[in-house]
Amino acid sequence: MGPLYKFGWFDFAYSLQIAGLIGFFFGFVLERAGFGDARKLTAIFYLRDFAVLKVMFTAIVVCMIGLLYFSVFGWIDLSRVYILPTYIWPQTVGGLVMGVGFVMGGYCPTTSVVATVSAKLDGLVFIGGMILGSFIFAELFPLLKGFYEAGSMGAVRLSDVLKINAGLIALFVCLMAVGAYWVVEKVEQRFGDRGTLPGGSRRIKGAAAALLIVLGLILAIVNPDRIAAKRATASPVEAVKKGEATEPIAPKAEKPASIHFKIVEDEGC
Amino acid sequence: MNVRYANPYVIGVLLGFILLFSFYTMGRGVGSSETFSRIAAAGVDLTAPQHAEEGHYFSKYLSKKRSPLMAWLVFLTLGAGLGGLFSAFISHRIKGEVVRGPLMGVSSRLWLALLGGILSGFAARLARGCTSGQALTGASELAFGSWVFMFSIFAGAYATAYFFRKEWL
Repeated sequence: MGPLYKFGWFDFAYSLQIAGLIGFFFGFVLERAGFGDARKLTAIFYLRDFAVLKVMFTAIVVCMIGLLYFSVFGWIDLSRVYILPTYIWPQTVGGLVMGVGFVMGGYCPTTSVVATVSAKLDGLVFIGGMILGSFIFAELFPLLKGFYEAGSMGAVRLSDVLKINAGLIALFVCLMAVGAYWVVEKVEQRFGDRGTLPGGSRRIKGAAAALLIVLGLILAIVNPDRIAAKRATASPVEAVKKGEATEPIAPKAEKPASIHFKIVEDEGC
Repeated sequence: MNVRYANPYVIGVLLGFILLFSFYTMGRGVGSSETFSRIAAAGVDLTAPQHAEEGHYFSKYLSKKRSPLMAWLVFLTLGAGLGGLFSAFISHRIKGEVVRGPLMGVSSRLWLALLGGILSGFAARLARGCTSGQALTGASELAFGSWVFMFSIFAGAYATAYFFRKEWL
């Protein structure tokens, strides 16, 4: 049962190697999509190329569906997955400022790394700016502290705020994604350069969209929250035992699992 | 020389699986802005160690035990650099240039990149994450604030895109 690290399958040093591996594929696919090029990235803001939105929404939907199905099958314990806490005001303002930074500088933090390694000087300058920006934030932190903590709501999910079950939310997200794809493709056809836009057969796209909606529908009916809650009350010990039973595979199996929970304070970004 | 970019939907699905793998193994998503904050912290620690002690924002990265750069997301960002390099290399896209629109000068583009970077770095600390660490990761676990953050990014960018059109078009 995942998350493996939280059940003590491997130690900190090994987790760093996994980080390198995940990062490698992360950077690889971003570059494949052309996200090392600021003009390709910012084209979304001039309605010419919505690759950024397509990649982001698809990744979110796929991962969301994966997490919820894993939870239904009992492969992952979502209560041990770090949920980003909500601080509504700094997140709203931070998002707006980051949006301005994106269209001004041409990158977001990860894509600037990909740009830099493909020898784009502006990417490197952007990285320098980010380091400077972090430093400025840290220096101003005493002044910003109040605002930084403003609107704290804890680790809430959409389902907690809207009081709807997570399966139904997942269905809405799938529908929203499919709707967004449909709209942005229409917009692209109008404003974009048809020579460089990706093709793809309508039939495959339609089938994929239908699959997404069906997967969402199943989640809405199954209601993963209920199943996870049932499992947690039925066998709170068993889940931990399961993790421990498999521990001999891990190199540092003797260590108590509790020490692995320590790196909580900076799990955000 | 430029091999065509991959289909964004295919990339999205792959990225979703990478993210899911990260959640399954580590119980957390990806991210990268913290790396740059940690680099800044390491710089402060190196040049003025007493400055970053006690109550300073960077003090959360600094411990006696290990360097501020010995962190999960730093390794992830290093990996991202290697992965991007490999991908750019195999399709011959490593080309020294300053990406800009045809009407844009090099130096003004670089100044804007610096300013944009400063805003980005600042905003990422304020919002506790960036496009990947907050928007991508948080949205896929349906965290409320992350969805707000993601739509705020688009709002901020679309609202100001008009003023930067010469930079890109």
